[in-house]
Amino acid sequence: MNSEAIVKETRAYHCLECGVCTSSCPVARVNPSFSPRLLVEKALFGFGDEIVRDRDLWSCLVCGRCTSRCPSNVDYLNFIKEMRIEASKLGEKGLFSHDGVMNTIMELQLTNLQQKRTFWIADDLEVADEGECFYFVGCLPYFDLVFGEGGYCDVGLKPTERARNTVRILNKMGIKPVVSNDERCCGHDLLWNGDLEGFRRLAELNLKTIKKSGARKVICLCPEGYVTLKRDYPLYLGEQDLEVVQLYQLLADKLKEGKLNFVENGSNNPVKVTFHDPCSLGRMAEIYEEPREILSAIPGIELVEMERNRADALCCGTSGWVNCSSCSKQIQTERLKEAEATGADILLTACPKCGIHLSCAKYNSDIKIEIKDITDLIVEKMV
Amino acid sequence: METAEIRIGVYICHCGINIASTVDVDRVRDSISQLPNVIVSRDFKYMCSDPGQELVIRDIKEKGLNRIVLASCSPRMHEPTFRMTIQQAGLNPYCLEMANIREQCSWVHEDREYATEKAVKLVSAAVAKVSLLEPLEEKEVEVRPEALVIGGGIAGIQASLDIADAGFKVYLVERESSIGGHMAQLDKTFPTLDCSACILTPKMVEVERHPNIELLSYSEVTEVSGYIGNFHLKVRKKPRYIAMDKCTGCGMCAEACRMKGRIISEFDVGMGKRSVPYIPFPYAVPSKYTIDPENCLFITKGKCGKSPACKDACSSDAVDFEQKEEIVELDVGTIVVATGFDLFDAREKPEYGYGLYDNVLSGLEFERLVSSSGPTQGKIIIDGKEPKNVVFIQCVGSRDKSVGNEYCSRVCCMYTAKQAHLIHEKLPDAKLTVFYMDIRAFGKGYEEFYDRVREEGVRYIRGNVSEIIKKGDRLLVMAEDTLIGEPVDIEADLVVLATGIVPRRDVKEVANLLKISQSPDGFFLEGHPKMRPVDTATDGIYLAGCAQGPKDIPDTVAQAKGAASSAMTKMARGKVKVEVTTASVDAFVCRGCGRCVEVCEYGAPNLEEVEPGILVSQINDSICKGCGACSVACPSGAISMKHFKNEQILSQIAAVI
Repeated sequence: MNSEAIVKETRAYHCLECGVCTSSCPVARVNPSFSPRLLVEKALFGFGDEIVRDRDLWSCLVCGRCTSRCPSNVDYLNFIKEMRIEASKLGEKGLFSHDGVMNTIMELQLTNLQQKRTFWIADDLEVADEGECFYFVGCLPYFDLVFGEGGYCDVGLKPTERARNTVRILNKMGIKPVVSNDERCCGHDLLWNGDLEGFRRLAELNLKTIKKSGARKVICLCPEGYVTLKRDYPLYLGEQDLEVVQLYQLLADKLKEGKLNFVENGSNNPVKVTFHDPCSLGRMAEIYEEPREILSAIPGIELVEMERNRADALCCGTSGWVNCSSCSKQIQTERLKEAEATGADILLTACPKCGIHLSCAKYNSDIKIEIKDITDLIVEKMV
Repeated sequence: METAEIRIGVYICHCGINIASTVDVDRVRDSISQLPNVIVSRDFKYMCSDPGQELVIRDIKEKGLNRIVLASCSPRMHEPTFRMTIQQAGLNPYCLEMANIREQCSWVHEDREYATEKAVKLVSAAVAKVSLLEPLEEKEVEVRPEALVIGGGIAGIQASLDIADAGFKVYLVERESSIGGHMAQLDKTFPTLDCSACILTPKMVEVERHPNIELLSYSEVTEVSGYIGNFHLKVRKKPRYIAMDKCTGCGMCAEACRMKGRIISEFDVGMGKRSVPYIPFPYAVPSKYTIDPENCLFITKGKCGKSPACKDACSSDAVDFEQKEEIVELDVGTIVVATGFDLFDAREKPEYGYGLYDNVLSGLEFERLVSSSGPTQGKIIIDGKEPKNVVFIQCVGSRDKSVGNEYCSRVCCMYTAKQAHLIHEKLPDAKLTVFYMDIRAFGKGYEEFYDRVREEGVRYIRGNVSEIIKKGDRLLVMAEDTLIGEPVDIEADLVVLATGIVPRRDVKEVANLLKISQSPDGFFLEGHPKMRPVDTATDGIYLAGCAQGPKDIPDTVAQAKGAASSAMTKMARGKVKVEVTTASVDAFVCRGCGRCVEVCEYGAPNLEEVEPGILVSQINDSICKGCGACSVACPSGAISMKHFKNEQILSQIAAVI
C-alpha cells in the first residue's frame, strides 16, 4: 500500500489535528521528537517517503491509546503497521534489543528446524497430543532462555512457570489441553514489525498444527497471542473454524459456574495488589473486567486500582523487541511508581511480556513493588 | 373526458442549454411525434416560462388535448407548476406526466448520441404512462383550531405563546413539574450576558396567565393517533400528591420533610440537595410543590413517622397521597415538538475523570455553581476554596466519533467563553485556560465576545485534552499544544468540561409515538435541511429547538416562531389539502395479514374486522403519503397506488425496454 492508500485505509484524512494522539502517546511524553499527529500530518501532505525512512516509525509502541481516543476514529495502529510493512520492503527496521536474539528465534521458526519447546511440561501436568482444546503456549519456552534462571537477562520471573500455571489451572477445570512441540511463534511481532510474509507463514504453520490436533478451541494466556489468533489470523488468512479464548475469559465463566474455587481462608491483613492492564488484553481485546472478577473472588487480597486503568492504562514501554530505549525505561518507571503509589505490595500483570519489561525496569532501581502474574496467584489459591 | 379518445401533447424543454446542449431536442420531438395518440410534439426554450405555459394551454384548447407530457426537469421542480397550467386549461391536474430529461439525462451524460437515445426512451415511457393515467380529485380536510406543544423549554414556551397570541388554543405538555427547561438552569447567556432567568421568567409567567394556553405540567403524551387537522391524543398526568388548587407554594411541606436536604436536586444537576416535596427552582411555573414518589418514605415504605410530616405541616391541606394518575384526552389540529436535548454524559470519556474527581464539572454543573440561584448562591467554591487555576475543555462529546457524536454542538465554544468571563468577573486573579480544536463563534456578536474574553486574559491553547490525572490534591490536565507541537500539562483545581448536546434518551420512543423520523445523529429529522427546516415528514407536526439538532437560544426562539407560524398557517385556513396519490385496498383481495400496518411510517393502514373473523386493511387517505411501502409489502396484491398503479408503471417499463 502506498502512503496515499494508507491514509485512505486508516481514515487519516479525517484528522482534526487536535493532538489527542500525541498527548496520549507515552513515547511522545518522553521523546519530544516523536509525534503521532505529525506522522499523520506528514502522510497527509504526501511525505510518506520520509515516514518510512524515519527512525521514529519504530518508536511507536502500538499501545493503542491514541487510536482509542481519537475523535475522528483514525486507525493509527494500522497506519503504523502498514507504514512499517512499506518500510521493511525497503530494508528498514527498528533497533533490535537483546542483539536481535528474539527476532532470530522468530525467524528460525519459519524453517523446518526441530524444536524443543515442550521441555517445561512437569510430571504432574496432564497434556495431550490430540483433543478438543489447544493450549497455545507462545514464546514462553524461548523467554526462559533469555529471561529465565541462568539466562543472560534473568529478571527473576521464570517465564515457563506461567505455562505450567496455565496447564495446572486448565487441569483443575477438567481440561486436558493439547500442547504441541510443533507450535510456532504466533507471528505478532513479525507482523507489527512489518514482516507480513513471515507472519503469514507462521500463521499457516500454526493453523496446520492446531487443526491436525483435532482441536476446535484454542486457549491463550498471552494476550498478544490471543489477539493475533483471534483477530489477525482471520484478517489475513480468512475465517477459521476455531474458537479462540483468552484464559481469563474462560476462568471468569468458570467462576460464574462455580467451577473455579479458592481457599476459604482470607487473612485479616489482606495483601494489596494492583493490576496492570496489558495493551493487547485491554485496548485491543477489551478484556477489562474478567481479570478483576477473578481477583476479587480470591480471598485475602484487596485490589487497588492505579490512577490510569482499563482503557486509560499506560503501556509497559516496549513492544516487538525493538527500540527499547531510555524512553522505554522512563515509561516503565512511571508505571511502576504509579503502581507503588496505590500502596499495593504486588503489581499483577496478565501478559508475560509486560511482566518481563516491568521487572527489567526494576533492576538497579529503588522500586520495591513485587511483580507477579495473575496465574501465580490463582495457582497458589485455587482448590 | 374519461371515455373520450386519448389525445396527448408532448412538450420538450431545452432548459436553455441545460438539456439542449447534450440532448438533440429536435430528434426527440420528431421521434415522439410518431407515437400513437400523440397529437402534438413540440420543443421550446423554457417550458416553465409564461410563453411556454401559454403554448400548452393554447394547444389543449385548440387541439382538444386531454393528456400532457412535460419532458424537462425533475417533477420535484415543476410538477406543481404544470399541474396548475393544465388545470387552467380545464384539464384534471393529474392528467400530466413529467419525463425528467435533465437531472436523469442531460446532466449526467456527456455523449450526445447516447443521451438523445435515452431521452427518447424516457419521454416514450411518459407517453405510455400518461395514456393510462386517471383524473384524481383533490380533497380537503378540516383543521381544528387547537395545537399541542410538547415540551416546555424555551422552544415550547415561545411556540405556545405565538400560537396562543394568534387566537388558537394551545395545550402545552411538560414532563417535569415546571416549565423552563434547560434555559432555566443557565446563569447568564452569551454574548449579551443577559441573566437567563430574567429574560425567561416573564415568558413563563405569560404562559401561565395566557387565556389560550392550558398548561399540563408533570404530564406526558402517551398516545397519538389521527392526522393533520385531527390529531387525537392521550396525555398522562402524573400524580403530584399535592392538590394544585390548594397548594400555595409556601414550602412548609419541604421544610418539614424528614428527608430534607437528602435528595439530589435534578435541577441543580447534583450540585444541591432538596426535600421530597419540591419545587425545582424559586420561579417555577406552576409554582406548586410536587412529592417525588421515588424518594418519599410514605409512598415507598408506607410509613413516615407517625404521620407524614409534610401533610402535618401543610396549612391548606393540599397534600393528598390518594391522588392517582389521570389520562386526559385531547383533540388538536397541529403539533409542535419541542422536547429539547440531554447533556452528553462525560462518564463516556473516562480519561477525563468526570464522576471520579469532584473538581471536574460538566458545563451545566458549572452553570448551577455560578448561578446566584444555585446551591452556593453563585460563589465559585471548590473543596471549600476559590479555584486559582481553571481549565476548560471544549468538544466533550461533540465532534468525537469515538463516542459516536460526529456533529458540533454549536453552543459549547460560546458557553465556555461566557463561563470563563464569569469566573474572571468573580475571581479576577484566577488563571483561565481553554483547550480547543477550533473556535466557532458564528452568531451575531459572538466573535466580538470571544475577542473580549481573550482580552480579559483567558488563555486559549489549540489542542484537545487527552487525559486528566490526579497529582496530589490537584489535577493535571494533559494535552498537546498543536500550534507549537509540544506536550503541555496544566495543573488545575477546577476543570469544566464543555459537554455537548445529545438527543433525549427517549428520542426513539417519541419518534415512534409521533411517527416522525430521526436523522443519523439521532435528533428529529426536518422536512428539508434548508427549505423545510421546521416541518417533519408528517403533515401537521413541526419541530422547534434542540429536538431537531443542537442550537443556541436565538436560533431556538427563531425556529419556535417558525414552527408556530407553520402550525398557525394550517389552522388559520382551517382546511388543508391532503395527498391524493394515496394507496387503496381491494377489500376482496386483502387477506388481512397486517403487513401494510407494520411497514407504514405514518400509521395510515388499519385492520378492521368487516365480518366476524374477516380482517381487511383500510387506509386513511388523510394520513397516507403515497409512499407505496404498503403496496410493495402486500403479499396478495390488494394494495395499489393511485397514480402509480401497477399497469401504469409496467407500461412505462415496457416503453423503455
